[in-house]
Amino acid sequence: MLTDRDRERYSRQILMDRLGEEGQERLKSSTVGVFGCGGLGTITSLYFAAAGVGRLVLVDSQKPDLSNLNRQVLHWEKDVTEGVSKAESAKYKLSNFNRDIVVEAHTAMVTEDNIEEFFGETDMVVDCLDNFESRLLLNRFCIETGRPMVYAAVHGFYGQLTSIIPGKTPCLRCIFPESPPPEPFFPIIGVTPGVLGLLEATETIKNIVGLPGTLRGELLIVDLLSYEMGKVKTGFDNQCSVCGKWRK
Amino acid sequence: MADFTEDQIIRYSRHIVLPQVGGKGQKKIRESKVLLIGAGGLGSPAGYYLAAAGVGRLGIVDQDEVDLSNLQRQILHRTADIGRPKTHSARDRIIELNPDVEVVPYQTSLTSDNVMEIIEDYDLVVNGCDNFPTRYLLNDACVLADKTIVDGSIFVFEGQATVFKPHVGPCYRCLYPEPPPPGMVPSCQEAGVLGVLPGIIGSIQAMEALKLILEIGEPLIGRLLLYDALATEFRILKIRRDPDCPVCGDNPTITELIDYEEFCGLRPARC
Ligand SMILES: [Zn+2]
Ligand SMILES: [Zn+2]
Repeated sequence: MLTDRDRERYSRQILMDRLGEEGQERLKSSTVGVFGCGGLGTITSLYFAAAGVGRLVLVDSQKPDLSNLNRQVLHWEKDVTEGVSKAESAKYKLSNFNRDIVVEAHTAMVTEDNIEEFFGETDMVVDCLDNFESRLLLNRFCIETGRPMVYAAVHGFYGQLTSIIPGKTPCLRCIFPESPPPEPFFPIIGVTPGVLGLLEATETIKNIVGLPGTLRGELLIVDLLSYEMGKVKTGFDNQCSVCGKWRK
Repeated sequence: MADFTEDQIIRYSRHIVLPQVGGKGQKKIRESKVLLIGAGGLGSPAGYYLAAAGVGRLGIVDQDEVDLSNLQRQILHRTADIGRPKTHSARDRIIELNPDVEVVPYQTSLTSDNVMEIIEDYDLVVNGCDNFPTRYLLNDACVLADKTIVDGSIFVFEGQATVFKPHVGPCYRCLYPEPPPPGMVPSCQEAGVLGVLPGIIGSIQAMEALKLILEIGEPLIGRLLLYDALATEFRILKIRRDPDCPVCGDNPTITELIDYEEFCGLRPARC
């Protein structure tokens, strides 16, 4: 149920015919997992908090360092000095930003054995990661538990994005049969994860509220230098080791 | 890189390793002075990302105080900031994020009396204020003073962004020569908006500002980027300078600034 304060706080979006009080209630009663509190995760979680997503579960194993601050807008110089973890740093800012939502922070290494503990109660999970190994772990968990997830990745001025709906769309392993090589120090301008993180937040909110036009079976390619934006159809891999058997 | 401290080199290292930026580019970013019009839905993400990128000076013009209903999209302000001048909470947030940035707050509306003086000190103007009087006033002032505007606007599920570079591409009046007469504006009621939409457009405005500062990529001069959040689609429309434009045309008729009235008369101009 929305309170009078909710009605005032979210008035600009409740005014939208396609969202309304019903859509706002769906946002309020939903739990969204944010896996990674870096360039993508800080901006998605900030806009989830702004939109009134009722409960956020933030998971990241790291602490911010100076080289993160060109893009990870919830981490500040003092967090680097004090050595706060990224999940806790984000939680602190988000709770101050919107006291009406619940923010959970987990500073932990996620493995196959413990992933359920973190994301087992979420309605959706947003992939805000920077390495393919963790992405595949999340992909498998979401396929096996029937949970939608939103994927985005960034590099330099470029990014890509899609929604993965178990049983309905190809999974991440279908789309990328080969894992790209790890690149721990990739070049990036802050706005790129900004735009991609906001597109992820939009996808998630549209999925929760039930709005049309989500990227199902399509990969959006973003080029911020030229704005040549395109969509590529993604296909099921019948041999997919992750989602193959679940589709049968 | 001699004049960056070791900490600054680490802070901006992810930019510096980009061939489009490098040490030279980072220096250009640091020497740049950007004026944000509005610390609202568009100005918030633009302010965050310009500050994170390390711009030297960020001016912020806004006349409003923070209201609870702003927080659904204006991420520079927190619950505790309700009632405070927006330029003050914006300044606090930006300095927490990056103390290297010099923030100059202008807690005022733009008028024909102050606009020339305010824009004079800046290389670029990022406009996040979507009301007719400010749009026309700012456009005319920037044509007269030869300042580039990175423009953004939103309506329900649709957003737009473009760059008005005087005499190189079109200006706002090339597209809309005169404001509509007051009776023709159907309603000044605030329309509904999803917070993420100004988020995306404001971030793209920051990207355009950085592209102009760095002189890289293809900035949106003479091009209008359209984003449809419902269909998740981006499109580009070509837009042209009008040689008969009353302000940037070959024989301009507007040579002085005009203060237009706020059409609905119910509430002051808002960003
Ligand atoms: Zn698959
Ligand atoms: Zn013109």
